[in-house]
Amino acid sequence: MSKKKQKVRALVYGGGTFLLLLFLWEITVRMTDSQIPFPTPLAVIERFVDMLFHNVGYYYTIIGHVLWSLSRVLAGFCIASALGIVLGLTMGWFSYVRAIFMPIFNLLRPIAPLAWIPLAILWFGIGEKYKYFLIFIAAFVPFTLNAYAGATHVDKQLVGAAKMLGANKAQVFFEIVVPAAIPSIFSGAQVALSNSWMTMLAAEMVCATEGIGWIIIAGQAVNDMTQMIAGMLAIGIVGFLLANGMRILERRCLVWNNQGN
Amino acid sequence: MTKQRKQFAFRMKVISVCALFGFFLIWYLVTEVWKLAPETLLPSPLKALETGIGKWSIKKPDGSTLPQHIFASLRVSLLGFCFGAVIGVPLGILMAWWEKADMCLKPVFDFVRTIPPIAWIPIMIILLGIGVVAKASIVFLSAFIPCVVNSYTGIKSTKKVHIWVGQTFGASKTRLLFKVAIPSALPYIFTGLKVSLNSSWGSLVAAEMLGSDSGLGYMIQLGRLLCRADLIIVGMVVIGIMGTILSAILDFMEIKLVKGAM
Repeated sequence: MSKKKQKVRALVYGGGTFLLLLFLWEITVRMTDSQIPFPTPLAVIERFVDMLFHNVGYYYTIIGHVLWSLSRVLAGFCIASALGIVLGLTMGWFSYVRAIFMPIFNLLRPIAPLAWIPLAILWFGIGEKYKYFLIFIAAFVPFTLNAYAGATHVDKQLVGAAKMLGANKAQVFFEIVVPAAIPSIFSGAQVALSNSWMTMLAAEMVCATEGIGWIIIAGQAVNDMTQMIAGMLAIGIVGFLLANGMRILERRCLVWNNQGN
Repeated sequence: MTKQRKQFAFRMKVISVCALFGFFLIWYLVTEVWKLAPETLLPSPLKALETGIGKWSIKKPDGSTLPQHIFASLRVSLLGFCFGAVIGVPLGILMAWWEKADMCLKPVFDFVRTIPPIAWIPIMIILLGIGVVAKASIVFLSAFIPCVVNSYTGIKSTKKVHIWVGQTFGASKTRLLFKVAIPSALPYIFTGLKVSLNSSWGSLVAAEMLGSDSGLGYMIQLGRLLCRADLIIVGMVVIGIMGTILSAILDFMEIKLVKGAM
């Protein structure tokens, strides 16, 4: 009973603050006579609903733009997961691989993914490949790091037991090391997903003709604050869904693992 | 056994050095010897090095020397980072310690958190122009969020037993906060500071690329417009080095300040 009461209280307080802030926003915009056409929250929501049904730009509704962005994130993310997990696991388990690739990886890692934008544009042009490359870089680092950490922290007793029971090297790697590293890889995937979502935005803001980042930058170009804020709203919603989807996936896939609750 | 192990470690080191050397050698061969890539796309490592050294004193083509760019970027990022830490850490502690603040602010914060700081850049540019303030507020946003999240988690994961001990000995609520909760949350807070430093450095680059007249991000963006890939590579390397130095400083501070840190 008290738990339910507490929940209701949390809802009242949280919702109250939220509404209060929105109200303040509305009042401030209405009261001040600003040079900048800053929209009220109501106008933003109205525009957002409008965007769901009418085209932003020439070709797509906001759902189309979100799908464009998601397709880019998905492509970069998948390539990065494939390469990053393989590199991380092998670096963590085989010392020769680590000796060869670790220094190069450490050399390139500190460079922020966004700092690759100019070079990526020079190399790949301003089409899709450039965005895939950037998202790949943003997602590759956390995947590799976490797979590496997972492979180096495998329980030594498990490995010893497997060896004693006569497992060969490939069996130890595939049957012991890989499954043991999966929880760590999943937490890497969370970071990688939010990184690549953010990098996609930056990449689209620098140059694109569609996508959710384009909506914002197109709003800036015509000084349309309502469109920008509605775009940000969409970004927030999709980012929230992505993060939670990943968490649910992790809980479903890793029922045996109680590390991450 | 130990001798063997030493030999093994030595061999690994040799391989590492060879791999690094090979990386640069291939880069050199591709650009200088085989000429597989035009210089505007991938300059040779020697050319990049030369540009990097020359950039310390030459103002061409972007109007500032490398130290001026570094100084401009550092000023903005440290300004935003300090504001983010000064506001974010106490807010996180407040939210974790005082239940009403938690209930009021958590939903708002969770909502703001889902929007990446980069998405704020155009709005900030419209509202605040392309000067220091706009960029610093982008950096502030990206530093603020990890600070709040980590100090919140740190305070929330204070051991109940420690608080009970404090209560048994008659400590007041504020005393409990300052003597028990905050010290035990310090490692978390420092992790938050490190994360926020990294993300603020990253978003600074984006902010400078989208609207600026100085700074490292501006330099590499201009390098793209002028097809000066050597300039871009110099900028990227400097961005990497500066990021490493900044996090090394925080690591050092953590070792000095936090008891029981790794």
